[in-house]
Amino acid sequence: MTRFTSSRLPAYAALAAGGLVAGLALGRVEPVALAAPFVLAVLAGAALGREPRVSARLSLDRERALEGDELTASIDLSSADGAARLELVVPLPGELRAVGDLAHAVRLRPGEERTIELRLQCRRWGALSLGPLLVRGRDVLGFRSWEGELGEPRLLRVYPSEETLLSLVPPLETQVFAGNQVSRARGEGIEFADLRPWQPGDRVRRVNWRASALRGEIWVNEQHPERNTDVVLFLDTFAEVRAQGRGTLDRAVRAAATLAHGYLQRKDKVGLVGFGGSLSWLLPQTGQRQLYAIVDTLLTSGIVRSFALRDVDVLPPRTLPPKALVLALTPLLDDRTAAVLLDLRARGYDLIVVEVSTLELLAPEPGSSLELAHRLWQLSREALRWRYEQLGVPVVTWREDVPLAAPLEEVNSFRHLARPA
Amino acid sequence: MRTRVLVPAAGAAAAYGGVVADAFVRGSSVRPELAAGAGLGALLLVVALARGGVILGAALGVAGATYVGATVAAGGNVDATAPLVGVLLLLCGELAAWSLDERLPIRSDESLAWHRGAAVGALALAGLTAAALVIALAAAPPGRGLAWTLAGAVAAVGAAGSGIWLARR
Repeated sequence: MTRFTSSRLPAYAALAAGGLVAGLALGRVEPVALAAPFVLAVLAGAALGREPRVSARLSLDRERALEGDELTASIDLSSADGAARLELVVPLPGELRAVGDLAHAVRLRPGEERTIELRLQCRRWGALSLGPLLVRGRDVLGFRSWEGELGEPRLLRVYPSEETLLSLVPPLETQVFAGNQVSRARGEGIEFADLRPWQPGDRVRRVNWRASALRGEIWVNEQHPERNTDVVLFLDTFAEVRAQGRGTLDRAVRAAATLAHGYLQRKDKVGLVGFGGSLSWLLPQTGQRQLYAIVDTLLTSGIVRSFALRDVDVLPPRTLPPKALVLALTPLLDDRTAAVLLDLRARGYDLIVVEVSTLELLAPEPGSSLELAHRLWQLSREALRWRYEQLGVPVVTWREDVPLAAPLEEVNSFRHLARPA
Repeated sequence: MRTRVLVPAAGAAAAYGGVVADAFVRGSSVRPELAAGAGLGALLLVVALARGGVILGAALGVAGATYVGATVAAGGNVDATAPLVGVLLLLCGELAAWSLDERLPIRSDESLAWHRGAAVGALALAGLTAAALVIALAAAPPGRGLAWTLAGAVAAVGAAGSGIWLARR
């Protein structure tokens, strides 16, 4: 611990010295009498100055929480020698907010143990580190203080809150494994697809007796098989817009967690590509474990400034399996992301672009000179969207005040109108 | 929070007022000069209460100098109220520092305030006793002999030892 001395102590010493000198110089006893209490105070300050020996342990009532959750942090204090005044504060990352007082001052008697509880609210997702504690011990009169850090840091994972989705965007192509998605192909399944004449090898149970009776020959039913799909969530981490504690990346991460949960519940394989200054990826897999892996990867995602040119080739080949649905979550701010998405479409991937709207965060003051620039910028974004749509890529804008389900429904509507190759 | 800040600050101001009042009572012949000193000290105290730091020491120094100036101007016998003035000066400094400490947004135990109040009270009482002892010793007739010489030597060694101990800590 680092020791500090109050500015009072040297001031008192100077006053005491001044009083004694004045007494000598003036030949009077009153200045000496004035100096006497200050001499005593200086002596008391020196005598009381003893570094407090305190042990502290920070703990959390849970290691995982959701955005908006409240949790309790406990600080266990103990001291064999006691402490006249112990001030402690837990430095909080910006993602957490204290409900009530954050700093506490306590007195510990020798051998006493105390527990202080803090209520914390999770404001934003992230992999957070809490602690160590900042501690300041002071003597009873505040002449001397000792400052330092105590306790081990605790890790807290705050998961992004998920939105409610009634339906997901079905991929155009399915894979060969069984799943919950009705394939466009024909084979063994539940959903009726078509009728066709009987062929050798067809099972009797597939015969459609009514159609056969009408036609006078044996016809069989064909079904759509239920298959799984590969979904790759493409998270743009090149750039974001952040204002008033809100950012486009926050919403993109929430959307990615929601979509990953939704698709994995349907037994689809879900992968993740964090595309930006720092690359991250997860190969498409299925199951609950993959959900945790995706969310854990999302928690560490952040904007990393980079001027390096990147294209799809930097990704491992298995990250983007053939016939995968690529769901891009991007504010469409960086040209490199725009180019990569166009490249993916050119390679035949089933691509959907969910544009995380920046308009709410970048709206210029009405009447300001920035309005014209803002309109021009919006026009250039409109042109980019048009470019995607010409290639059959649905681009939907996800505004802040609209649930994620709305833009996804827009995608479904787009696909009903335009069936990309 | 406001009470915890304002009450010690008011106490510091009252202690300062007591020192100045004593000076005015004693130095009636030099009141304009005393008023200037008291005003400067009050200004420094207000700044110290607002911002803290070493200005508090300067405020106490000016108040003490004002009182000493008054006693010198008055001349004559030893002022028997000097120990009280010294303790008031110390209380002014301690209460002002207490008020400044309470400005930090910290949730404190109730017992901390009582504990500090008791410590300040004990320090003031001890200071009053020490200052009264100084005045009493000054009033005693000067003596000679081995006992007084030994007492003087012990006091000198004690003072030097205390200084060295303080410097080494």
